Amino acid sequence: MRAKAWWILLVIILFVAVVGLSVGGNFYNTFSRFLADKTNKIVVLPLVKELPFSLGLDLQGGTHLVYQADVQNIPEKDRAGALESARDVIERRVNAFGVSEPVVQANKSLGGEYRIITELAGVKDVKEAIKLIGETPILEFKEKSQPTAVVSPEASGTVEANVDLNEGWQNTELTGKYLKRATIQFNPNDGTPEVSLEFNTEGAQLFEDITGRNVGQPVAIFLDGYPISAPTVNEKITGGQAVISGHFNVEEAKLLVKRLNSGALPVPITLISQKTVEASLGSQSIDNSLRAGLLGLLLVSLFMILYYRLPGLLSVLSLLVYGLTVLAIFKALPIVIALVLVIIMVGLVFYTFNELKIFNGTLAMLFAVIGILLFFYALKPITLTLSGIAGFILSVGMAVDANILIFSRTREELKQGKTVSQAIDAGFKRAWPSIRDGNVSTILTCLVLMFFGTSSVQGFGTTLFIGIAVSLFSAIVVTRTLFVIILGEWLEKRVWLLGVRRQPEEIKNN
Amino acid sequence: MIYRIIQRRKIFLTISSLLVAASIAALAIWGLNFGIDFTGGSLLEVEYRNYQPTITEIQDSLKDLGLNSLVIQPTDNSVILKFQNSSEDVHQAILGKLQSLAAAQEGASFKELQFDAVGPSIGQELKSKSFNATAIVFVLIILYISFSFRKVSRPVASWKYGVAAIIALIHDVIFTLGVFSALGHFWGIEINTPFIAAILTVLGYSVNDTIIVFDRIRENLPKSSEDFENTINRSVNQTLVRSINTSFSAILALLAIIFLGGSSIRDFALALAIGIFVGTYSSIFIASPVLVVWNNLTHRPKKTA
Repeated sequence: MRAKAWWILLVIILFVAVVGLSVGGNFYNTFSRFLADKTNKIVVLPLVKELPFSLGLDLQGGTHLVYQADVQNIPEKDRAGALESARDVIERRVNAFGVSEPVVQANKSLGGEYRIITELAGVKDVKEAIKLIGETPILEFKEKSQPTAVVSPEASGTVEANVDLNEGWQNTELTGKYLKRATIQFNPNDGTPEVSLEFNTEGAQLFEDITGRNVGQPVAIFLDGYPISAPTVNEKITGGQAVISGHFNVEEAKLLVKRLNSGALPVPITLISQKTVEASLGSQSIDNSLRAGLLGLLLVSLFMILYYRLPGLLSVLSLLVYGLTVLAIFKALPIVIALVLVIIMVGLVFYTFNELKIFNGTLAMLFAVIGILLFFYALKPITLTLSGIAGFILSVGMAVDANILIFSRTREELKQGKTVSQAIDAGFKRAWPSIRDGNVSTILTCLVLMFFGTSSVQGFGTTLFIGIAVSLFSAIVVTRTLFVIILGEWLEKRVWLLGVRRQPEEIKNN
Repeated sequence: MIYRIIQRRKIFLTISSLLVAASIAALAIWGLNFGIDFTGGSLLEVEYRNYQPTITEIQDSLKDLGLNSLVIQPTDNSVILKFQNSSEDVHQAILGKLQSLAAAQEGASFKELQFDAVGPSIGQELKSKSFNATAIVFVLIILYISFSFRKVSRPVASWKYGVAAIIALIHDVIFTLGVFSALGHFWGIEINTPFIAAILTVLGYSVNDTIIVFDRIRENLPKSSEDFENTINRSVNQTLVRSINTSFSAILALLAIIFLGGSSIRDFALALAIGIFVGTYSSIFIASPVLVVWNNLTHRPKKTA
């Protein structure tokens, strides 16, 4: 069993190396550059990809805006689409604002309210952003200011790439308010996507006039002053039904429909909630959390070593594995690494439980589910917020819970006269039902927190869940492997290292 | 060494009843000091460098804007203003006025640190969401305990373990709310969204603690030669050290946040620490005694007959 344990330890060390490089890639790279420098490029270590943490608005500064959409005047069936169009408009506007990775979400609340949530990280001028977002989108149809005699030789209806879209356009009377709706449809002949426009009676008349005087000419559609399409008119269009066909794919057609509809069914939005945090306040919060986290780790480690002695020391080592693993999962890991990490974790859990002879189907299912969830969390970045970090720090205190249960049980068994190795085995085995039941109840709470909907609460629930899941691995697999390796004759004679007072004769008597 | 915890249950149950009664009284008299997340409103934090305007100066400068229920709180190095939910225009107007206070001083600078504005409808929604989430957690916990204790039916039915755990949970929640009612009344500590997360976490944690004691009871009952009361007392004693140590390490981590984590999550960590402490207390001194009391109520008549 010891020989096997060394192999397991090797796997754990490799595991730690991978999570360590994922978490501290920047430190490693600095070190290897320094080493290459000092040794005149004799020792050249390969560099690793540095993965960033994803920080929430409260940590990096930025603004969180919640808009209420007024959909009263929009028919029930068009509401979701109209909200989606409004979302698209806002996204385009904030993109123009040059914000890195803006978040714009359309959201229907439980009470049936339509909302748009916008998160702008690191935006400097919140005032300007709010002004820009709040404006109602304007859809305009424009024609060439000086109708020229040049007739496009290419056939109709396509978006001409060579048309200069920025200059030489003049407004027509036709605007978004005459457009009933735009929809995507597929050409019955060749199946290519097309965008169909439907005007109201007044709009149909205006459109007939415009197309009548621009046959062979492009008519441009502008949203918020930016051209979104400039199809060439094939023929005069009567009846208020038009089709823009072209070389666009389904995605492009959908986008155009969204943009046309945002002008056709404008959704008035009002700002109902805003949360703005200045960047300096955020970086101060990061410093505070870092210090709090380190102090928390130190206090918990000290307590464990002072109270449980040698086992305490082992649990501190597994606590370090725990911390690195959780931090690695917070980052967006490449799929291969995420998969390898989760397989190692779940595999070693299965192996250890099998060794302890408490492995069964329910357990396998429980860990398979936890493993799959962890895999998905490892793939996507976990946005760290202040409360999320608090969840992580709290989980450091709770991660040792499983070890405390095991060690308390081990001590009891030792006092009953078992040998150290028997006592440790029994400690793990007997403590497991409690560890399982306790953690499952906390995981249930985490799931409720994750579906609560408010981002700070979600963040807390998510980090706490990841923490509990990883702690099952670290507290059981890592601690036990270390135990098996250090077990031996020498430890049987030194039970005081396990915090138990016993005369050597007692072992023989039992 | 075995502590006579269950035998002294009357003392603990009385203390807890008094504490719960006091908490309910505090909640009835003072209520909870809800922050803007729940009530709706605005919070603005600004920082002045090389100059600290007095509260009166700030009040005077904002007089023309006609803000309702304006509260000004100076902190270590910033000023926090609270007022009714306001539009972006009002926000900008306030900033302009505050800025001009600094502009009038030589070498002073002014910066907006954070601004929160919450509409009243959002606050209402949060209240109902919190209530729903708490209810869901309660139901899940009862279901889970009933399920995992389904094989234990003598002498106490498995669902009674669930109910005893829930009684302990309600005790924890009411006590934590009571403490925050007092904290809100005397020190102005507010209840905001993170507090809900704290309460829900305390629920999960407290039941975790209780389950571990019950697990021991479950393990000891079939092979015990003692009566129900003493078996439970032995189980509580066996898990006592673990219960205290686990909470102690969690509270150590929370203390680190309370002292170093910065003001914005201090209250959150405090709520968690209080909840975890009382959660541990209740798993030892409430949940198990309640089981014994219940068992005696149903079984005693048979014995005397």
